[in-house]
Order: sequence, then C-alpha cells, then structure tokens
Amino acid sequence: MKKVLIGLMLVISMVFISCGGSGKGNTIKVGWFGALTGDQAVWGENELNTVKMLFEEYNAAGGIDVGGKKYKLEVIGYDNKGDAQEAVNVTKRLTGQDKVVAILGPNASGNAIPIAPILEQAKVPDIATVATNPKVTVLDGKVKPYNFRVCFIDPYQGAVAAGYAYDRLGARKAAILYDVSDDYSQGLREFFKLNFEKKGGTIVADESFNGGDVDFRPQLSKIKATNPDIIFMPYFFKEVALSANQARDLGIKQVLMGGDGWPSDQLISMGGKAVEGCYFVNHLDYADPAVQDYKTRYKAKYGKETELNGYLVHDAVLVLVAGLQKAGKVNGEALAKALEGIEVQGITGKINISPETHNPEGKDAAIEKIVNGQYVFQERYAAQ
Amino acid sequence: MIQFLQQLINGLSIGSIYALMAVGYSLVYSIMNFSNFAHGSVIMLGAYFGFFALTGLNLPFFAAFMVACIGTTILAIVIERVAYKPLRERQAPFLYFIISAMGASILLENLVIATIGPTFRTYPPIFERTPLYIGSLAIGRLDLMMFIISAICLAGLLLFINKTKMGKAIQAASYNIKACALMGINTDRIILIVFGLGGFLAGVAGVFFGMKYTVYPQIGNITTKSFIAAVFGGLGSLPGAVIGSIILGVLETLVAGYISSQYRDLIAFVILIGVLIFRPTGIMGKSTVDKA
Repeated sequence: MKKVLIGLMLVISMVFISCGGSGKGNTIKVGWFGALTGDQAVWGENELNTVKMLFEEYNAAGGIDVGGKKYKLEVIGYDNKGDAQEAVNVTKRLTGQDKVVAILGPNASGNAIPIAPILEQAKVPDIATVATNPKVTVLDGKVKPYNFRVCFIDPYQGAVAAGYAYDRLGARKAAILYDVSDDYSQGLREFFKLNFEKKGGTIVADESFNGGDVDFRPQLSKIKATNPDIIFMPYFFKEVALSANQARDLGIKQVLMGGDGWPSDQLISMGGKAVEGCYFVNHLDYADPAVQDYKTRYKAKYGKETELNGYLVHDAVLVLVAGLQKAGKVNGEALAKALEGIEVQGITGKINISPETHNPEGKDAAIEKIVNGQYVFQERYAAQ
Repeated sequence: MIQFLQQLINGLSIGSIYALMAVGYSLVYSIMNFSNFAHGSVIMLGAYFGFFALTGLNLPFFAAFMVACIGTTILAIVIERVAYKPLRERQAPFLYFIISAMGASILLENLVIATIGPTFRTYPPIFERTPLYIGSLAIGRLDLMMFIISAICLAGLLLFINKTKMGKAIQAASYNIKACALMGINTDRIILIVFGLGGFLAGVAGVFFGMKYTVYPQIGNITTKSFIAAVFGGLGSLPGAVIGSIILGVLETLVAGYISSQYRDLIAFVILIGVLIFRPTGIMGKSTVDKA
C-alpha cells in the first residue's frame, strides 16, 4: 500500500513539474534587486517576499492578460548588499543574462541613481520603491527615460513637514539638526527651511553633525538656547533615537519632527519616552483601511509583520501590471512609454506617474504621531 | 554664561568616556611600547557582554556590570597570550605587535558581525531620562554616574600603581622592562596584570558607552579619538591620558557649540597636531622614540 502511495505521489509530482515546464513560453520575467544581507536586509527581504506573494496570487488566478494573451509572472531577485557598485552589476545581469522586461526596486536612492545608463542601454524600465532623492528620476532638469518610482520625493517631504509644523502645530520658530554627510538629510533640511520661511516662520538654529557621530549635545545645547517651538530632525532612526534621548537629557521638552527615516521598531525601543508626542511624515498609515488586506495576507504567508517597503513594492507591482496591460505587449520600451501618465489606485494612495518627472505627483503623505510607543495616524496631508 | 557652563559639562562627560578608553592604551604602551589597537574591540565586546548579561541573563545592573568587566579582563589576557606572547618570545620588532593587534581587532569585529549580527542593540533604560538641575544647568543622571565611576576607577588605578608593590613593579617595568627582568621581577606576570587592568577598564568603558549610545560592532572606531587623546596627553602616562581626554572632549564640544559642528574634528585635530609639533612627547609623555 505504502509503495503504491509513494508511486502515486511521484507520478503526481512529475505531472506538476512538467506543467510548470510547459508554461515557460507564456511567462513574463521581472527582475528585483535590493539588500538581502547587511544593514538593510530586513527591508530587502520584505520587498522580495511581497513581490513573490503577489506574483503567486496573480498566477493562481490564471496570470495577467497582456494584449489578449495570458501570461504568468516570474520574479528573479538578486542581492546587491545595499552597495551601489553591486547594484550596477546585478542590473547588468538582470538585463543582459536574464532578459527581464522590467526591474522592481531598489529601495535606496544611492543604489537607484547609478543604474540609469544600463537601463537606457537595455531599454528596461525600473520602478524604485522608497528611493526619495530627486536625482533618481530627474538629472540636470532632464527626466531619465527608464527610471520611475512610486514614492514621493524629498523636497515634497520637506514641504509637507514645514507646512504641517506651521499650519497645524502652530510653530513659528523652528530649529533644525541634520546630517551634513547624507544627501537625504540635506535635501529634507533644505526644503523644510525654504517652505517654513515662505510661510512666515523663522529658522532660529540650523545645526549639523557628521555621519557616524553619536554625541549631539553641543549642537542640542545651542538649539536649546534659541528656544524654538519645534525641532526638525531629518535623518534615520538610530541617530534620531540618540539625539532625542540626549535632547531630553539636556532638558529640551519641545516637540521633535522628522521624515520617513523615522518609522522603525528600533526607534521606539531606543528612543522610548524621548520620542513620545513627536511627529513624522510617512508614506502611508499602517492603520489605513486600504492597507489592511495586504498586511494580513503578508502576515498569514510569512508569519511576521510587513515593513514600510512592502507597501511600496506592492504598489510598484500594481503599476507594473497596469503598465504591461496598457502597453499591450511584453516589451521594455513599450512598457516605459505606457508607464508615463499611468494612473493607478494603490494602497499607499493614488499614483499618477507624471511624464515630465516620472514621479507620482501630488501623492498624499501621512502624518503620524508617537503616542504610548505607538504610531498614531493624524491625517493625510498634501503640501500646497 | 549658562550656555558656556552647559557646554563645559557636555565636554567633561564626553571627555570622561575618552579617558576610560585612553587609559587602556596608555597602560599597555607604558610597558610594551606599542599601541594596542585591539583595545577598541575589547571595549566593543564589553558593551555586548553587559548587554547580554542585562537582557539575556536578566542580571541586576551592577552584577551585569561586573560580568562585563570580568569578561573583558579575561578577553584582554587571552588576546595577550594568543596574539602577543608568541611575538614577545621571538623578540619580534614592535611593528609586528601593531600588525598583530590590528589583526586581532579586525578578527573580533568580524566575529561579532558573523555571530551576533551587524544591527545595533539598545540597553534597557536603567537611569531615568529626566536630568538633575543645578540652577538651569541640566546634568544627565547617566552622565553623572559615568563621571563618578570613571573617576573612582581612574583614582583606584593610580593608587594601585603608586601604592602597591605590584604597582611599583609595573612602574619599574615601564622604565626598563629588561633591567626589571634582570632584577628578578616576573615581567611575564606584570604584562598579564597590565593587560588585565586595561581589559577591566575596557569593560567599564564598553558598558557605559553602550548605555549612553548603542551597541554595534563598530564601536571600536570611536577609540581612534581616545587613542589620539592618549597621544596628546603623552602615551605611557596615565594622568596624561586622562588630561588629554578631558581637553579633547571639552575642545570638541566648544568648537561644535561656538564655531560649527562641521569644523569640530578639523579644528580639534589641528590644535592637537600643533601641540605635538611643539611638544612631541605630549603633555606628560615619557619618551619620544617608538611613538606608534
């Protein structure tokens, strides 16, 4: 009996294997890359898992319809270790060897910027996830033909933070502490300052530190003496937690505010009480009804919570599928054309890719407040 | 004025961490005449020992503190036995010791990355975040604690060196280790004790550094600053290391607070180089040769 069962299973599995093989002609290969090792591995793994899950769901439903033909989706994912040079290497491999029709990711601006020439040569479009630096899609005033993204950009984030601080929180005097060695931080600081002053506020202190610094008390003491209404901290959660703790050590009680570098479990565990009552700008709200479905599906499949990146790669997949359907054929060049001006209702908001910038223009930002160690959604806010 | 005093307090608190780290460099240099670059990694592991004793073993703070210090003491001695003793026995040039020290440092750092992971960790809160006030001057509770314990450790070390027989032997060895051996002093034991003392202080520094900031495998890089402070104060001199560290801490803070934080390292180090040009032995250094 046992032997019969094993034999039966073998036959069944062979049938399945051969089924998989025969479908190869109707498969669309999509590349993905990001960090699967190193500091940002959590985010990379989260993105790749999300792409795999969504593709499986599409395939289970019979695949997607492109130009009247059904196609299955297949993802080829590579680890670039968060390294810019590796990003170039894996992009070459994806476009040259694997012949993908499009690439999803990466999440980091520094990795998304250098791959543009390879994409242009291979005529393969890339949809970046959380790369917020303006240079990812536009360089020297010219849009890069094969680079797209689904997230808002740093200047916009800075404008949102300034607008919210001035209009909603009633701040008139703001102090800034920023990381002088980081493009992301500098961009946010510049546009926060510009927009806050345009609204009529004053920047009473504009202090900086160098990447890798762990002590911010000299700068914070200076900021304290200027007695601002709010302190803007546009950098990543580790430094945010350290500087917030040190600010409280110095008796600074003001509200702190930041950007999308803040959200992380580490911020709450490291920052604790120091970041209570503080605000930050995020790409979406985790409690938004629109994201709940994806969130539960991810948790059911992988047994852990999704990160910010997952939501954005989810929408990148939606944009990709809509683009392929609009193009009507499986071709990178046609896809890039189709992506321009495309409109998709994603879970992180309405994505309307502008042909001039390849950015999702006018996408709402979510303002979050930290209350009792939880991120509490305040409102969707768009900068004017 | 209040602003100035506040910055001075900030500087003293940064300086006291540098001092704890710098003394470890100076101690080893005074006997062995080489810079023990593995010291930074011992400090890093001290921070990890303390962290795991607190969160993994759930020990109370002072017990965890002792676990970390004893752990680093043993570690420093093991490093001496494995990385330096074979070189000593072969009478290798001092350059080889430095290379060996760098090797040990890179090994330990990568060992931690491979086994514990590259992400940083946070000590559970032990002291309250609300500062103590003197007038309107704010002093962090942890800073105060750190300053007091650093002072006790450094004073204890100076007492040990100056008042005990063993301390006298260490002093003798720092003048001339070969002559010392001829006089019947067991220099091998002296070296072990010196590494043990350096390791113990590395544990203290590591735990405080971890509590004040975070724990991650690259903590050792911070010790570059304390090494420079030790050179500035005069390598080989313990009071020199302490004074050099405090001056560097205060100098950095004042530059960041009154000129610009971007110029902090630039100006601080230009001043240090200036001092070394006019006084190559540092403030209280013992000799000018073999300073590496």
